[in-house]
Amino acid sequence: MRKNRIVGFVCLLSIISISFATPELSGYYRNYVGGFIGKGQSYSIIQNALNLNIQTSSSKYAIKVNPYIYSYDDKVMEMGVREAYVDLYFDTIDLRIGKQQIIWGKGDGVFITDVISPKNLSEFLLPDFEEIRTGVTAIKFDYYLDDNTFELVGIPAFTATVMPDSSSPWYLSPSFPITPSYDYSKKAVPVNFANGELFAKYSGLSSIMDYEIMWGSMWDDDPTMHVDKTTSGSQVTSIVVIPKHHRLNLLGGSVSSEFKGYVLRGESAYYTGKYFSSNDPTLPEGVIQKNYIHSLMGVDGTLFGLTMSTQFISKMILNYDSQIVNDEVENTVTFMVRKDLWRETLHLEFFAYIGLNKSDALIRPKVSYDLVDGVKVIAGANLFVGSSGSFGNYDSNDMVYTKVQVSF
Amino acid sequence: MKKSKLGLLVVIAMSSLFLFAEEPSGLNVIETVYTRATAKDQSSNLTMALINKRGDSRVRKIKQFLKDYGNNEKKIMFFVSPSDVKNTSFMNISYSDASKSDDQWIYLPALKKIKRISSESSSDSFMGSDFTYDDLGDRHPNEDTHSILRTETFRDEECYVVESIAKDEEEIYSRTITWIIKDKWIGLKKEFYDEDDDLLKILSNDQYQKIKKYWVIINSTMKNVQSGHRTEMKLENIKLDQGISDRQFSERMMKRGI
Repeated sequence: MRKNRIVGFVCLLSIISISFATPELSGYYRNYVGGFIGKGQSYSIIQNALNLNIQTSSSKYAIKVNPYIYSYDDKVMEMGVREAYVDLYFDTIDLRIGKQQIIWGKGDGVFITDVISPKNLSEFLLPDFEEIRTGVTAIKFDYYLDDNTFELVGIPAFTATVMPDSSSPWYLSPSFPITPSYDYSKKAVPVNFANGELFAKYSGLSSIMDYEIMWGSMWDDDPTMHVDKTTSGSQVTSIVVIPKHHRLNLLGGSVSSEFKGYVLRGESAYYTGKYFSSNDPTLPEGVIQKNYIHSLMGVDGTLFGLTMSTQFISKMILNYDSQIVNDEVENTVTFMVRKDLWRETLHLEFFAYIGLNKSDALIRPKVSYDLVDGVKVIAGANLFVGSSGSFGNYDSNDMVYTKVQVSF
Repeated sequence: MKKSKLGLLVVIAMSSLFLFAEEPSGLNVIETVYTRATAKDQSSNLTMALINKRGDSRVRKIKQFLKDYGNNEKKIMFFVSPSDVKNTSFMNISYSDASKSDDQWIYLPALKKIKRISSESSSDSFMGSDFTYDDLGDRHPNEDTHSILRTETFRDEECYVVESIAKDEEEIYSRTITWIIKDKWIGLKKEFYDEDDDLLKILSNDQYQKIKKYWVIINSTMKNVQSGHRTEMKLENIKLDQGISDRQFSERMMKRGI
């Protein structure tokens, strides 16, 4: 399998190189070393990464291939293609065909209408966002009308969120009274026309505001854990967990506008078809379907010479049932402050996700210095606060790290 | 600020010069510079060398397009180097109405999305250079009080030396002094004074030439006399009045790049 992928990768590079006399090559090499503060000072990651962008373009078309290689000290090398697509340009229409990352919405680091490209959460939310998003094979149609754009995206085959494997420090084992067994027979979504995903968006930039209105029919990137329990009297004797992806429909939008020197942002989506885990013993598989609304409000600006950005994010389950494991309303705040010094060569940044329901947080201070143009040295920390919740669950994974990145 | 092409303003400015042919006011001179004929559209390659007092240099390259619509002006910039900002693009719409803020967007290729950004940070450094965003635009004459200090010959050109004092006390420059060539209506040199009225920066327009019927500044240097740092700016491959399409200034082109 791996051999085939490498052969395919080399073939692809060869085709690009042969077909186009002078493809443009850019990218970066990066060394990334992270260590846990607790856990006996063990390393969390030792990674060498090579990311290449090979592209060629004209007024009628463009081709881009973005292969990457991750080499680790303690696990096998990863190699893949993040994007590989062709763009065709017409008078008022663009077509993009192939594997691509598609990013919608006005939120930063929050996935409300930005749901087309699934996530790679094998290192939780810590990698750069370019690396968190997985490319999807899609056909994207853009129609331009003055300052407005209509986009239609068709994805023939579903791609799920990449979760950490069970040996990873970022893996969270589900909590059950006895050790469950897993039935993965219903996890895969068969590839056929009916199982495709479709998204549409109408957007515009204007002096008053920028806006997006979007609709999607998609598969839930995160599988719902259906639970089949066998009991003997009041005693649970066996638990079988059956991961399944369900179809979701969503309607959403986002806006951003400037007001007195500050950029105000808003984004919201209404989801139908989501299944939530429930403690209700009368439910046959321990799940219940509910609709929910996911929203954010944000403001960006400069205060006291500091670049600042904050967002309030709320996820509300409609027609809530008290047996649902998730809270009816889950609120999160993000906060970012940044200062560029020494002619934009030294960058100080503080970013935090704060979970208001569980009083947990992920705090990410970072210092970045441009040694010379294209060579960047980064030192930072990822500090998890709390004992439960999305961030508190990783309380023992506090880490510090360094990165050296050479762009070319 | 947007360089107005309003005919009325031109008429007023030129009439004022005619009426005060022997001794125009500072405002007359600055208005004439502001309304000087410029191309309807322009494309060029911009190179900035950021040079510290030890002589170490960092180079930034940009491809830029600009189009004048009368009551607004659109500019789109594509960052070519250094490599870590390559394919980033920036679009600005400025308005002749001095009370209206610019609209600005940036496309970050790593995030793959266009973000609206605030134009209130116009006093910030542009890409780490000695130029602020404001320095690179055309400042509306109404924002300062202007007076002619003297006339003198500077670099073999007859110049008005005009002092401009900011009306808004929050401005980063308390005043500027500009050497304006009498018959060309372009600035040859400009001194910028900080809030304590100490000389902060000197802009020297080292090379200018007439392309088609317009005077264009080709090479300029902004030197921070307090830090010893300087930025050399060079325009190449300048094309004027090429009939750049309106579509060049769009979300589509920001994402597509050059």
